[in-house]
Amino acid sequence: MAVDRLMMGGIVGKRIDMWLLALCLLMAGTASAGAQQRTISGRVGNAVSNEPVAGATVGVVGTVISAVTDARGQFSLSAPDGAVTLAVRAIGYKRRTVTVAADQATVAVDLDHDIFNLEAVVVTGQATSVEQKNAANSISSVTAEELGRAPTPTIESALQGKVPGALIQMNSGAPGGGGQISLRGVSTINAAVDPLIIVDGLVISNAAIANGMNAVSAAAAGGNASNQDNAVNRIADLNPADIERVEVLKGASAAAIYGSAASNGVVIITTRRGQAGAPTFHMTQRFGQYRVSHLLGSRVFTDSVDANSAIGSGGSAYCNGPGGACPVFDTEAALWGRHDLSTETQLSVSGGTDNTSYYLSGLLHNDAGIAENTGYQKQSLRANIGQRLGQRFNLSVNMNVVHSLAQRGISNNDNSGTSPYLVLPFTYSFANLNPTGPTIGDYPNNPFERSNPLQTFAFLKNDEDVWRAFGTGTLRFDAITTAHQNLQVILTGGLDQFNQRNDILSPPELEFEGQDGQPGTVVLGKASNLNLTLAGHAVHTYVPASGGFQATTAAGFQYGDRDLNVTNITGRTILSGQRNIDQATSISIAEDLQPVRDLGLYVQEEVLALDRRLLVTGGFRADRSSRNGDPGQYFFYPKAAVSYRLTSIGGNDGDEIKLRAAWGQTGNLPTFGAKFTPDTTGTINGRFGTFVGQRSGDATIKPERQTEIELGADVILLNGRANATFTFFNKTISDLLLLQTLPPSSGQVDRIFNGGKLRNRGFEASLGYALVQSPEMSWIVRGTFFSYRPVIVDLPVPTFQTLGFGTALGAFQIEQGKSATQIVGNEGVVGDATPDFQMSFSTDADYKRWSIGMLWDWKKGGDVINLTELLFDFGQNSKDWNTAGQQRLADFLSGLTQPFIQDASYLKLRELNVSYHLPQSATSAMFGQRVRDARITLSGRNLIRITSFRGIDPEVSNFGNQAIGRNIDVAPFPPSRSFFFSIDLDF
Amino acid sequence: MKIRHLLYAVAVLGSGACDYNITNPNSPEPIGNNPSRSIVAAAASGILIAQRSDLADWVIDAGIIGREAYRFDGSDPRFVTEFLVGPLDAGSAAFGGDHWFEHYRTIRSTNNMLNVIGTATALSAAEQNATRGFAETIQALAFLGVLNAHTQDSIPLAVNQPVSSAPAPYVSNDSAYAFVSGLLDLAQTHLTAGGAAFPFTLPVGFAGFDTPANFIKFNRALKARVEVYRASRGCGNPCYTAALTALGASFIDTTGPGTLNAGAYIDFGTGPGDIPNFLAQDPQTSDNLVHPMLEDSAETQTGGGLDARFLAKTVSRPSRTVSGLTSDRSFRNYPAPGSSIALIRNEELILLRAEANNAVGTGAAVAADVNYVRVNSGGLAANAGLAAQTAPQRLDAILHERLYSLLYEGGHRWIDMRRTGKLAGIPLDRVGDVRHSTLPIPTDECLARATGPGQC
Repeated sequence: MAVDRLMMGGIVGKRIDMWLLALCLLMAGTASAGAQQRTISGRVGNAVSNEPVAGATVGVVGTVISAVTDARGQFSLSAPDGAVTLAVRAIGYKRRTVTVAADQATVAVDLDHDIFNLEAVVVTGQATSVEQKNAANSISSVTAEELGRAPTPTIESALQGKVPGALIQMNSGAPGGGGQISLRGVSTINAAVDPLIIVDGLVISNAAIANGMNAVSAAAAGGNASNQDNAVNRIADLNPADIERVEVLKGASAAAIYGSAASNGVVIITTRRGQAGAPTFHMTQRFGQYRVSHLLGSRVFTDSVDANSAIGSGGSAYCNGPGGACPVFDTEAALWGRHDLSTETQLSVSGGTDNTSYYLSGLLHNDAGIAENTGYQKQSLRANIGQRLGQRFNLSVNMNVVHSLAQRGISNNDNSGTSPYLVLPFTYSFANLNPTGPTIGDYPNNPFERSNPLQTFAFLKNDEDVWRAFGTGTLRFDAITTAHQNLQVILTGGLDQFNQRNDILSPPELEFEGQDGQPGTVVLGKASNLNLTLAGHAVHTYVPASGGFQATTAAGFQYGDRDLNVTNITGRTILSGQRNIDQATSISIAEDLQPVRDLGLYVQEEVLALDRRLLVTGGFRADRSSRNGDPGQYFFYPKAAVSYRLTSIGGNDGDEIKLRAAWGQTGNLPTFGAKFTPDTTGTINGRFGTFVGQRSGDATIKPERQTEIELGADVILLNGRANATFTFFNKTISDLLLLQTLPPSSGQVDRIFNGGKLRNRGFEASLGYALVQSPEMSWIVRGTFFSYRPVIVDLPVPTFQTLGFGTALGAFQIEQGKSATQIVGNEGVVGDATPDFQMSFSTDADYKRWSIGMLWDWKKGGDVINLTELLFDFGQNSKDWNTAGQQRLADFLSGLTQPFIQDASYLKLRELNVSYHLPQSATSAMFGQRVRDARITLSGRNLIRITSFRGIDPEVSNFGNQAIGRNIDVAPFPPSRSFFFSIDLDF
Repeated sequence: MKIRHLLYAVAVLGSGACDYNITNPNSPEPIGNNPSRSIVAAAASGILIAQRSDLADWVIDAGIIGREAYRFDGSDPRFVTEFLVGPLDAGSAAFGGDHWFEHYRTIRSTNNMLNVIGTATALSAAEQNATRGFAETIQALAFLGVLNAHTQDSIPLAVNQPVSSAPAPYVSNDSAYAFVSGLLDLAQTHLTAGGAAFPFTLPVGFAGFDTPANFIKFNRALKARVEVYRASRGCGNPCYTAALTALGASFIDTTGPGTLNAGAYIDFGTGPGDIPNFLAQDPQTSDNLVHPMLEDSAETQTGGGLDARFLAKTVSRPSRTVSGLTSDRSFRNYPAPGSSIALIRNEELILLRAEANNAVGTGAAVAADVNYVRVNSGGLAANAGLAAQTAPQRLDAILHERLYSLLYEGGHRWIDMRRTGKLAGIPLDRVGDVRHSTLPIPTDECLARATGPGQC
């Protein structure tokens, strides 16, 4: 059966598949043992504290022999006769070489702290890595320590401001995440925008599945779910505390070996592992709260005359104080005024023996949202087990089960008067919407709009319940281990499965519910996704007897089977108190199936030569996918890179400059269904009907192709105390998956095809400097800078618009020769969403038992279409109505779009933390002798925000993750700031 | 060696374990050659669903522009800015750029059907003709929808081509009307050769028109409307005469008040896959309010009370003021989400006959039909002097009756005032308000022709 299907793959496919198979078999069959004459044992320790360094790799230079230290820092290896040089490296320490004389059997090695992780290894392919100081690409690496400084429930916000070249923005402030990771700016117009996310070798889903709130909001009139539903992209499910390291491949030159799924970059996440030794426990307990970070405010009316200026007449019914004075109610503050206790408990234990390692962790997380009926809960259990099976096999199994419940209320665009920031523009300060009692009937109707947001949030349920399981098994087989070559075969199989359940209940008693003649709305959404990854790699390393170079050859395959299945049922007209979907009078159902299968094959060669100063890399990847028009066709993505280190600059041993150049290609697969031209279906009077669908597909559709050149220089000065990296990139994306807007007289909305070209050039830099480095005190500052410019260099179809609400309200217009992110209004170009630049600045200082750190994130420029303000102006209810709002509205009504296209620059204090290590005496007294270390921390996130943007927040996006039309503010859920008090115990 | 077997298994699995050919699991492809009976039936229902998609939207949008209605929608101010003050935004498919695409989607759906129906071996020749007549009639209705909203000489007609082709050329409004008229005649010919029954079942809204022979009555009713529109736009007496001929073959009926509502309707519903009539809102909180002009100019019944048509369609409610506009009445002629909307009904046919007779018939014939409607529909006294009035005076009387008879049923007021050159008779509420004479050609239509907005 399997072989039959193999034959169907087409001539080209078959040939490559068989070639790979032959290679694997050949390599596996040639195992032999090398000559190893003597044993060297020793201990690796910290140069300052002399504490043992566990997990350090000790290798014999000029060979491929290596060993790993145990929890006591000890190792033992078989080395050739004669004097040898050992190279020792460990995560967080600088690499060190020591010479062991021919008659010396033991050795002690002290390692210095590697402040900027310059010597950590970074990935260069699917199964290969190289030390950061050799890397030919700017690969950003973020460590667990950097991720965990100020707690956040989801990983994308933990990365904000930490990766040069990554613009990470949260789509809303709703609890439970939902954010966009954009690497090196715009890489596409209509295709997928999210980077490929890989956890321990497994491609995980970052799908954003709409919750179905459209049934209530009617944001996209008709239909069950919409992209304005404020969906969470599912990277939010990861537990940040389990992450050991995040590596970010930002462009095609670094990511080519990931092929046609990597055009938006690759985020490679490695979870923690245990190390040999006694069990070590870590416990973190946090208490904190969330508070709304910013309120818009509204016009405060003084008297009935003032009131009548907005509502026409009848103001005296509300403003009946002395002299017609108006009472003032702040519904906005009341709505977002909750700040209940949020808690998090983490517990992990890790350890192992020589043959077994384990890391087990648990998480209980509970965030209280800033509005009633909102919040986020997450529970996670993880077990990462490693087991050595005999001399040559090593098996590791990682399993993670996560449950989360996000309660996100209602926000974003609507057409039903339900989303709070579409109701507040017409809710005047003299309207009292406060309830007189606890029941749904105790909430007054909104005299000026269709809903009372206080009532809506108190009784509208929007629960997103997700169960997710990740599991990977990796078998490493040392097929050949000799002094001068080794061949490792790695097989990884994994699954990522989640079930998302969305329950929305909008009870019939809510003020707005009767207006469509169908009081009460209930939505049941069920989505399941299965990602299966099967990958195999053979890595052959060769060092000649002369030791002149090291050649690493890697080849492998990666098979993916993804199956996303979304069912959404909307029920209308339900009895009071009922919540079951089958109690609804009227039911509509939508189902969406997206099965995808793809296969990638790759080979890569790396040569490290000239005393590890020169690195030359070349390779290519071949990909096929069911999403392409021809699922049997392979697409090839080559890459090449070179780096050279100029060492001992100015005579200083540790100082060096590395020059690097890299070139590569990646693809971006057609969106699911791009090759189909589906009809639209519906019923009329119980009769099923089919008619012309919106989109015309292309049966020959193929992936977009990105070609990137990256040039850079990395500088290490002051013996590693200062470092800087500078990178220029130029990427062109051709064969764009264009969605040509058709003339509406064609009867279809758009047509998918490959064509056109987008160019994006940019510059990124990072700087790090250890101002003070002494046993008592350390003080490190870091900075990043990033800027890019995307231009449409070739567009084979007429100018078209994408997203937005029409030209008058600002639309993103794709036009040859213009910026890809220009915003066009009635009067022409009115703005651009691309920021001038993005910078971050962080400082971390340790003094004796104290640590203090902060991270500032600055985005300069980049416009946002602020439609929330337009609505406040239209309601004559903006806070600055009398001084500026009136004029804005007059300008808008005279045909100008400009007033609502606003600069969304911001400077945010992303993280602030102060921690204190308790003295041993206090620790023992409080927690007993077993506790080795106790630390208390005060931390905050997004505490300060400086912006001239007049909306709720310059980061938000009405349409979620988008390549082009992201910057549209329509009634978002307001972001919050958080404060946490934490206790960390190690025992 | 075990390891070899394992590697072999893995490599084979990875390269070919699964079928990469995945067909569309979510929805059908467009109707193709030799369609089965069930595919033809689904396409026929689909044509009506496509036609339905602009119906309720047109009632409110054209109602606002023609000052039948206001829409006070807190989520979107453009109902009281763009539609009443301007400028119309050709770039927004929901406002200025509306009432174009949906009709062309219906047209494409009908063309897809017409292109393959001759290959349907499962259908007899008569059934193929019946299907053609049905599709052509609905296609004509869709083109008329485009013309109702657009008075520019920029109407694409030859749209039966691949979407990647250059956009269909523009033709003048008059040519488009002539085309629609001819299309209805072609449809009549096909229906006449259509045998006893359609090869599909029409929805209940077409009760009475559900055989090819009866469907011709609906086709002729549309023909009469098109000819009267053409006549008032300049064609004059030949078109009025053609309208009278068409009315003779239509379902026009003056045998009693019970038949005034007879006609063809489009159904809405709340069943699975169906869409509700979004005009059905609780009148006490509805966003859709009645323009106060209607109450001011309504006549009084002999027994007291305003025009029965006005009272039947509207109801008083708490007053609402938005942006200087005030109303205290809402519509109630679509009470439930399943309320259907008329495509054309007998009451309109009677007034079309009056209008045609006003040009080519007698004053007495005009008065007879106008007064039939006044008495039976409005509960008003007959206008005794009408027969003796001048033709222009009688036209004003006909337009007044049309306002109340066809109120909130599809933008009739705006169309009527425009085609008779009386647009200035539409009232303005605020300083700066305007009377639109047409919606603009959508920006995307212009961009596809490589001209800028406003240049087409």
